[in-house]
Amino acid sequence: MIARKYFIITALWAGLFVHAQNKQLLYDFTEVPQALMINPGMETDFSWYAGIPALSGISFQAGSSGISVNDIFADDGLNINDKVRDRAIYGMSVQDELSGTYQVEIFNGGFRGKDPSVFYSFGLYNEGDAIGYWFRDYAILGYEGNADRLNQRFDLSHLKTRGEMLNVFHFGVNKKVSSDLILGARGKIYSSIFDFNSVNNEGYFVTTEGQNNTFASTLNADLELRTSGVNAIDHAHDDDNIPATVIKRGLFGGDLGLGVDLGFTYYLNSQTVLTGSLLDLGFVYHANDVENFALQGSATIEGMEIILPDALSDPNQDFWQNLVDDVEGFIPFEKETTSYLTFRPTKLYGSIRYNFGEPMQGSAQCDCDYRTSGKGPNTVKYRNSVGGQLYVINRPRGPQSAITAFYQRRFGNFMAIKTTYTADKFTFTNIGLGASIQAGPVNFYLMADNLLAYRNIADSNYTSFQFGLNIISWGKK
Amino acid sequence: MKRIGTYLWVVFATLMIMSCVEEQDFDQYEDLSVTPTYEASILYLEVPERSINQLTGTNVYSRDFNFDAFSEDVFSKRVIDGVLTYEVENTTSKPLEVKIQFLDEAGTVLDTEQFVLGPEPTAVLINETYYGPYGEDINIIKNTSSIFVTATNLGDTLSTSSQANPMVTLKSSAKFKVRIKE
Repeated sequence: MIARKYFIITALWAGLFVHAQNKQLLYDFTEVPQALMINPGMETDFSWYAGIPALSGISFQAGSSGISVNDIFADDGLNINDKVRDRAIYGMSVQDELSGTYQVEIFNGGFRGKDPSVFYSFGLYNEGDAIGYWFRDYAILGYEGNADRLNQRFDLSHLKTRGEMLNVFHFGVNKKVSSDLILGARGKIYSSIFDFNSVNNEGYFVTTEGQNNTFASTLNADLELRTSGVNAIDHAHDDDNIPATVIKRGLFGGDLGLGVDLGFTYYLNSQTVLTGSLLDLGFVYHANDVENFALQGSATIEGMEIILPDALSDPNQDFWQNLVDDVEGFIPFEKETTSYLTFRPTKLYGSIRYNFGEPMQGSAQCDCDYRTSGKGPNTVKYRNSVGGQLYVINRPRGPQSAITAFYQRRFGNFMAIKTTYTADKFTFTNIGLGASIQAGPVNFYLMADNLLAYRNIADSNYTSFQFGLNIISWGKK
Repeated sequence: MKRIGTYLWVVFATLMIMSCVEEQDFDQYEDLSVTPTYEASILYLEVPERSINQLTGTNVYSRDFNFDAFSEDVFSKRVIDGVLTYEVENTTSKPLEVKIQFLDEAGTVLDTEQFVLGPEPTAVLINETYYGPYGEDINIIKNTSSIFVTATNLGDTLSTSSQANPMVTLKSSAKFKVRIKE
């Protein structure tokens, strides 16, 4: 009982505080190599870098657009049943979501090619991503039932969820095409560990006045849940062998896919920079350990119906069993193993940045400025940058977007900080702060989001952090 | 310059230290009660007058109908209280008695509903039986495995009603509250 309570509370926390993976602090933070992961066309001046294995990039983001832990569990003297009914069951809409992601880099590195205008990067990271929209009508049906709700349709399409865990092997190329333009692309191989999705559901349940009997109960369902790898994880759990199964499926032993990231940086003038990137334009083909479940059909029942004299024709017939068989025949629950394709949640970033203040020499050793690459690709850096960013992610209920205003300040080559203000469907008061510290070759970055929510974390709809540790070289002599 | 870095880390550390969580009372979870109420039809019986007139040698129609809906664990272990509603209508020319008995798996009679109907014209007879703390024993519902229906013709087998399509009908529905979470 206690374990179940804490499981539910933990799940609530995990679900409520998981958020779309907007990395607005890291985006175009050119001092941090991991920023290349969200814009392969980012401006780079490193000679090479190597992430500290498993510590080079860790990020976690969580949020909820509809409710917070404080809304339910605040010690406010209100009855929890009223709070659940008013704030969750009826307080949230089907557009409200519980979603999120985490990412852990296993390894990550990069090096400049013989052609100094080209920078290569590569690595492997593990990622988990999940989203669940508020299944409002299911919640009402489960919390209050169908009594005294004649003709009210409970919409089965409110069930919309997907999630996955996968490893991503990637190799990226970043090239300074001209003094004004940098292009980048990153190829990805996805090795899916598990996936589940139930996003194309339709149908309804309704109770109406019956033709013969008092009520007619109608279920019209077109529901589907597709899974891959879940069964393998479940069996591994039974065998106490989860790590080996996860590792095996994550190293090409699961379901595979391909994807690409694209990005660019373009100087509109000496101080104004336009950037953009399109991430995870890819798919995973699920053919291994697939289990799909479907409930499709329509049935209306009015209880057992015994109509004489027909009912006398077979004295042994079991009317109850016939009713159950009829329903199962009209709305069969089926399990099958057909392969399926999923598309990754594609993300789009864009920004415009204005650099100002006293120009300063970058970390790399070269005779260059922002328009002259010199021996290396280094550019002159300004102390200050200000600008705006756009973020869009493709989600099951359509694209979600966020806009960000930012200010960035560089303190020599030792440190850079970036502060952001972001508005999205989750919050309009999201202020974030990120810093990158360069101590010799060691780079450490730490970024935290929605800082105002730290006044009462339980009341937060969103929180995130990311940090990492790298060794960076600019090839200085 | 390193002083700036120090300041920055102080800012982060302060945020971490000064971050607050207003007091939460997770024990409230114990007070959360999820008890939805569901309703649906359960049994419909229709006996035309011509079928009654065709009965020979007896004036009684009776039948035991298997009915596992109430005894399924998903229901019987969660049901708290509820009501069974019957609507009986007789448009035949005969007085009738309709008896519904709830039986457990061993065939023991747990409860009986009886309706005596005069010949047409009669009003619809509606009866509600409550089960639970303020009604009949809810265990009657939990243990019901079959329904035994007896319809007795208290009149003759020759007369015919002046009503169109004369028959006796029994409608019944159940409305029960179940406990999803204690």
